[in-house]
Amino acid sequence: MWLKFNNAFTGEWLQYGQLFTNLQESLFGRLFLLIMTIIPCVLLLHYMVIGPKRFAHDGPQVYFFDLFSRIIHWIAAVTFSFMVLTGLMVIFSKPLGGGALIMGGRSVHIASGLLFTVAAIPMFIIWLKDMLPVGYDIKWMFIMGGYLSKEKMPVPAGKFNAGQKMWFWLATLGGFVLAYSGYVLWSFQGPTDTLRLMVIIHNFLAAALSAMFLVHLYMSLFAIAGSLGSMISGYKPQEEVAILHSRFKS
Amino acid sequence: MGRMKFLCDVERCIDCKGCVVACKEGNHIPVGINRRRVITIGQGKPGEKSLSISCMHCSDAPCIAVCPVDCIYQREDGIVLHDKEACIGCGYCFMACPFGAPQFPSGQVFGARGAMDKCTFCAGGPEENFSAKEIKLYGQNRIAEGKVPLCAGMCATKALLAGDASEVSDVYRERVFKRGSGASAWGQDKKAYKD
Repeated sequence: MWLKFNNAFTGEWLQYGQLFTNLQESLFGRLFLLIMTIIPCVLLLHYMVIGPKRFAHDGPQVYFFDLFSRIIHWIAAVTFSFMVLTGLMVIFSKPLGGGALIMGGRSVHIASGLLFTVAAIPMFIIWLKDMLPVGYDIKWMFIMGGYLSKEKMPVPAGKFNAGQKMWFWLATLGGFVLAYSGYVLWSFQGPTDTLRLMVIIHNFLAAALSAMFLVHLYMSLFAIAGSLGSMISGYKPQEEVAILHSRFKS
Repeated sequence: MGRMKFLCDVERCIDCKGCVVACKEGNHIPVGINRRRVITIGQGKPGEKSLSISCMHCSDAPCIAVCPVDCIYQREDGIVLHDKEACIGCGYCFMACPFGAPQFPSGQVFGARGAMDKCTFCAGGPEENFSAKEIKLYGQNRIAEGKVPLCAGMCATKALLAGDASEVSDVYRERVFKRGSGASAWGQDKKAYKD
């Protein structure tokens, strides 16, 4: 009899209720704290030990990103950054004091999530062909894209290297899973067990994506000097393309 | 100090939903939010049973464990209360709760959830007792007035008992003794949870 009542309240609590309670109590906060501290430390270490890659920016230039892909990239980039920031606000709402500030953060999270989903669809389509994995991606993985040495050796990569491809697939496919689970959490309908499962998926995927997001930020801002400019002007210096995207054909 | 408890006697509950109405009216709960619900199983069949359910003010409450703002807290007498001004409406407490007690008003910006609302055992909130703010945010504070919660006070069949745990169990034990329901009255013939 009591089991029947229990199922009528919120479903079988032992299935995901207990799992969610344990994860939220002891894992999610720590996981995000670890990601937000350890990864910047590792990247800082990389910057100090190996340092940024510098390429001559006054030489010939290669047209790399057309205007449409740049616009789409920046819409996705800005909305994604907002989502990471506001998502972290929810995770660390206790030190931030909670209340109206975090409520506002959640609204921004919802709005930018919607915009991101809209921008991610064309982004997925225009870059899909260049993002398909190819044989030399494995070679790239073995030498870690040449980022562990100071030498300028041509690394095997087409328009996008294996690292960018991982980021792309995680951000688009993972992004759609995040968008869907986020939609379910926003609508707050359906069996409670579904909500519990969705919040677990949302948290784990968000953790993986924020880690990749930090690495992507580091690569574009610091690891390759001046590479941010290529996403603004669309041009990359020929030397950089010859080394980092040696298989690229325009 | 005692330990406050609800107990709903399923042999007495007649699914009149008087507790739900009393709670909603007395505490001015908006439409769409139910601090208390009545659940009926096996409706229309022999052995139909009804149970009035709200926040059970658990010891080691899972909502307190998952709240990212730590705005839910437990008083010394066991009543679980929360600070609506710190609540961010994330909904985690609802997902952790085995009873579906936390409720959320909708209609904020982008249709997002507002601050959580749940049964306060008619003990108000963290604000000053009987202040206008407490009444507006949390409803009546009948505990501070020395009364039982509205739902239990209202219950026509006295199925819903509320108060100090030892008193409540004394009343129930006496009933069970008179009824002679055997061991199953406490639900001990079957396990509610897996081992």
